[in-house]
Amino acid sequence: MLLSLQGVQKSFGGVKALRDGNLEVCEGEVHLLMGENGAGKSTLMKIVAGMFRRDAGQMLWRGQPVSFARPAEASAQGIAMVHQESLLAPHLSVAENIFLGHEGASTGGWVNRGKINERAARVIAANGFRLDPATRVASLTPAGKQLVEICRAIAQGSSLLIFDEPTSSLSESETREVFRIVRELCSRRIAVIYITHRLEELRAIGDRVTILRDGATVHTAHLKELTREDLIQHMVGRPVNAIYRREPQPRGKALLQVENVSRGILREISLSLHEGEIVGLGGLMGAGRTELCRVIFGLDPPDKGVIRVAGRAIHSKTPRQAVAAGIALIPEDRQNHGLALKLPIAHNITMPDLARISSLGFLRSNRETNLANEFRDRLRIRCSTPQQLAGRLSGGNQQKIVIAKWVARGARIFLFDEPTRGIDVAAKQEVFEQMDKLARQGAAILMVSSELPELVQVADRILVMCEGRITGELPGRTTQEEIMRLAAPSAPRPGDSAEARALPDRT
Amino acid sequence: MMQRLQRLLPFLTLIVLFFALTIATPHFLTAINLASVARQTAVINIMALGMTLVIITGGIDLSVGSILAIAGLFGAMGIKHGLPIPAAIFVGIGCGLLCGLVNGLMITQFRINPFIVTLGTLEAYRGLALVVSKGLPVHEIPDSFSFLGDGNLLGVPFSLWVLAICAVLMHLVLEHTKLGRYAFAIGSNSAAAYYAGVPINFHLTAVYAIAGMLAGLAGMIEASRLMTGQPTAGQGYELQAIAAVVIGGGSLVGGEGSVVGTLIGAFIIGLLSNGSDLLGVNPYWQQVIIGAVIIAAVAFDELRKRKLSVSRA
Repeated sequence: MLLSLQGVQKSFGGVKALRDGNLEVCEGEVHLLMGENGAGKSTLMKIVAGMFRRDAGQMLWRGQPVSFARPAEASAQGIAMVHQESLLAPHLSVAENIFLGHEGASTGGWVNRGKINERAARVIAANGFRLDPATRVASLTPAGKQLVEICRAIAQGSSLLIFDEPTSSLSESETREVFRIVRELCSRRIAVIYITHRLEELRAIGDRVTILRDGATVHTAHLKELTREDLIQHMVGRPVNAIYRREPQPRGKALLQVENVSRGILREISLSLHEGEIVGLGGLMGAGRTELCRVIFGLDPPDKGVIRVAGRAIHSKTPRQAVAAGIALIPEDRQNHGLALKLPIAHNITMPDLARISSLGFLRSNRETNLANEFRDRLRIRCSTPQQLAGRLSGGNQQKIVIAKWVARGARIFLFDEPTRGIDVAAKQEVFEQMDKLARQGAAILMVSSELPELVQVADRILVMCEGRITGELPGRTTQEEIMRLAAPSAPRPGDSAEARALPDRT
Repeated sequence: MMQRLQRLLPFLTLIVLFFALTIATPHFLTAINLASVARQTAVINIMALGMTLVIITGGIDLSVGSILAIAGLFGAMGIKHGLPIPAAIFVGIGCGLLCGLVNGLMITQFRINPFIVTLGTLEAYRGLALVVSKGLPVHEIPDSFSFLGDGNLLGVPFSLWVLAICAVLMHLVLEHTKLGRYAFAIGSNSAAAYYAGVPINFHLTAVYAIAGMLAGLAGMIEASRLMTGQPTAGQGYELQAIAAVVIGGGSLVGGEGSVVGTLIGAFIIGLLSNGSDLLGVNPYWQQVIIGAVIIAAVAFDELRKRKLSVSRA
């Protein structure tokens, strides 16, 4: 047994983040750690990595009781963490980052760049990565940055690596690269603890899984022994209908028409969204899906082509005009583009439409409170009061605030860009239910998603983009393989395996 | 409980300071002394109200000290050339508004960082004031003008009334108007505000125009106190105004700040300098003390926020 945690507890200012954390990790295994947002996964891992001190409980490392006061103490013992948000110095080179804080004492304060690059190149080559030690980290992709973090952990001789949701910001092919690396590490007897939200990833990578709920370990088992439904039930604490299926609706008249729009990588895009329908938009990273949403929402006006709302051409140069036409964007990057985290929930909800709560130029706080309460109840936003700061809520509840503000504004056309990114299973269902409800009330919805199962489940029909063009339209109940076939840059011959088609190597 | 106590810290500091000075020196709690503190702080305070708005948007305005000088100068010149006093006051305020508008337009239209723009206009407006006045103060102003800075109304310094009105108005703007709400939204997350359809450039320009206007008003009060239009007036006031906002809980990254906080911050600075004068503290040490208080206030605030922000992950 490499690592063993028993009855670990941790509180923050009266809030118990961890009540009873138990975990056992063997040498060279890939151990998945699952649970909803706020279940205590990251807290538990930060205790292992020396970032937090536990309040109670036992931690054994190679059979010895240990307690780390600082991350440096944990890494000296061979425990390293690869973070969700990269903790690298962007202005330094790959090599400098790999050895940051471990430049070697013999140099007496001087850094020999050539030597460091050489050492870094050795580490990189030993793992079969493609990285130039002299590149500045700022110019790397998110996946490249993770490689640097992994190299850093390996260079420090770690025997346990903790991955905190490594694939949440990666593309399909990058995700596969991470999986390859994890398997490679495991073949060298390095243990990996892997925190994830994505049920799809599980079997591709893990041996055993430990599930946390409400700050306590509820289950540990071999993955083979669990079904997808079992996992969800353990995470949520009650059975959830995991396979959400929307009842198809009769669609109304066209609300949004995009005609021959070009801009940047977008080439001659045409599509229409009708009242009451949810249209999925699939494709690989960089296919132009987010770019299309930005053009429709007025963030990047089109170079060519026309966008019509209810038949009338709109020429938005800023989101303000698109918003006035009834268009709403639920952006991919919720925290940076969707919410003012330091402001109360109520202020976020009313931001697009202050006129609704004003009279004679003054904001009426009672009207604002009533409106916020109404939408809190309608969208089931879990908070103590609407005066709570938006930044203190979980990802799922934050997403509901973003939706609420557009519903309150009376938007009719909704562009959902990766609506379920970083939110837990139960909240995902609620987001889908909200989308369904909006469509029933006559809204037109475009849903961009990289999660193919979600597209297939939720959308009435699916458009697929590749390299800036719409390459095809599929009915809602299509297969993931069909989507991938249209999403891949060069159409593969029939007879290629689904796996090969799903793996366009674009690195 | 602890958290509420910490949030009240600036206010408690002010109270403690007030009582400490009352006990330490008999000269403190007198009508004359308090009126003089009020007059001194009113000028900084009025500027600090505008600065609060600017800082809430995540910006900064370094030019308000220079705007104060140029506005006071034009106002005084107006009076000297026979303009009625109320009209001259409006000239000063208008001059401040114009300077602030120029700041705002440069920030929003050329997309230059507010620090850089107002650092530039800090120099430029001061230079203009010196050019226009040829470096000489404007004297020989009718005595009746002293009412604004030195007069009393119902036994209270007139400038304190002006401050009170400005403070109430600014509080209303911040808490109950679109402009105030958008200022918080822009300072908290300007991208999110833009995505929500908030006309950011318009409101940011208005924010700097208002800050300039208030600096212009402060300039007229200062001119009235000195009974001259001084092209060199108000040097370093911008830093005092920023300090008042920051002591009162404003955050330089934006999204936080309040009128009450700023008032408390300005009065803490006012009492510290008045108290050390009365106690005969070396004026050089006064600067050290005020500097230390600014840093301590922000350090406490950061500690408080850090405790709040530790959430379960």
